[in-house]
Amino acid sequence: MVMTGKRGDTRVDAATSGADPSLEDANMADAPWWELSGYQRHAACLVAAREGDRQALDALVHDLSPLVWHVARAQGIERTQAEDVVQTVWLTLLRNLNSVAEPRALARWLITTTRREALRVVRSVENEQPLVDEVLDRLRAQDGLPEQEALQRDRNTALWKAFRQLSQRCQELLRLTVLAGRAEYNVVAETLSMPRGSIGPTRSRCLTTLRGALNNETEGGSS
Amino acid sequence: MNPPGGPTGPGRAGEGLSALGLSPEDTELLNELGDLLVLADPMPPDLVARIQFALELENPEFIEIAQRSPAAQLAGVRSQAGPSTMTFTVEDLTVMVSIAPAAGGHRFDGWLVPSGPHTIEVRVEGFDSQTTDADDGGRFVLTNVPLGCTQLLVHLAVPEGQRPRTVVTPTIMR
Repeated sequence: MVMTGKRGDTRVDAATSGADPSLEDANMADAPWWELSGYQRHAACLVAAREGDRQALDALVHDLSPLVWHVARAQGIERTQAEDVVQTVWLTLLRNLNSVAEPRALARWLITTTRREALRVVRSVENEQPLVDEVLDRLRAQDGLPEQEALQRDRNTALWKAFRQLSQRCQELLRLTVLAGRAEYNVVAETLSMPRGSIGPTRSRCLTTLRGALNNETEGGSS
Repeated sequence: MNPPGGPTGPGRAGEGLSALGLSPEDTELLNELGDLLVLADPMPPDLVARIQFALELENPEFIEIAQRSPAAQLAGVRSQAGPSTMTFTVEDLTVMVSIAPAAGGHRFDGWLVPSGPHTIEVRVEGFDSQTTDADDGGRFVLTNVPLGCTQLLVHLAVPEGQRPRTVVTPTIMR
């Protein structure tokens, strides 16, 4: 794999990625992609990738694959299936490099495409076999931990089980909310704000349900 | 902040959540959920490298992306030893491939439906591509494919003058 110095020293900076876009745009034409951050960097990378800049495409994959991963997993598909979905999304971008929306809307395009691909997998597995919860397996697989870590494991297991009891819609909304709350993925907040007014109350109901399920999971156990 | 070169999952950061007008309890529960997702459900660490490899394609505007059939997908990933079979489809082509350990690598036995004089290319990271043509029945064999991150391509035979068609898979092995 080709690694470059450029990619390593230009991580998305939380302090600037949320700044006023109109102010940032003034600098965009002048700065090369590796000096940019946030959605500006992604837009510049896409433009450069269209012109054959291999490192710019690799940088996009590096920066935005975790987002694609979590959006895919939010649809309820298995980890192995999500690996294929993430690859399919990037291959789709590669094929449509010159026709994909406007560069500034790349994150939204990725989220939309990922959901569509993941839902296609959901439909194709629905009558095939029950999904195996790999995360639960991973959480439970840690035996012989010190007491403090064992307590944390039990708490994590309970929270995961409670989370997985939620409706698919709630699971997705809470996953995306968590992503949106993390500085690297402010782009998700934009997607979440689409149907104004309905997100907040739905999220509150999902959290209430999650808390109730978590209480059921931890009842009789340690607090 | 994640250290440079470290995991690229979402790092813990409360400021985005606080803008949502949630109660402190809800914010804390979401933060806890976020930490759990980072801990228990991270993107596989080698996935970025596999994607970057899978995207190193010539004439990408002509690719068609094959979907792995779900049953074979789980079976293929789970069985580490012994032959595994996987099936990929695009609109008008199905690719089945059975992969078995062989000296120093893998043996690929494959089958294209419907058959045609198509060319199969196996890309393995760090090695030259291997190609072979499918026979009249759509079968193809590659006896010694080296180990590594692997992707299958099928270059479809198209009539003279028509645009090329290349079916590509996600990476099928690490």
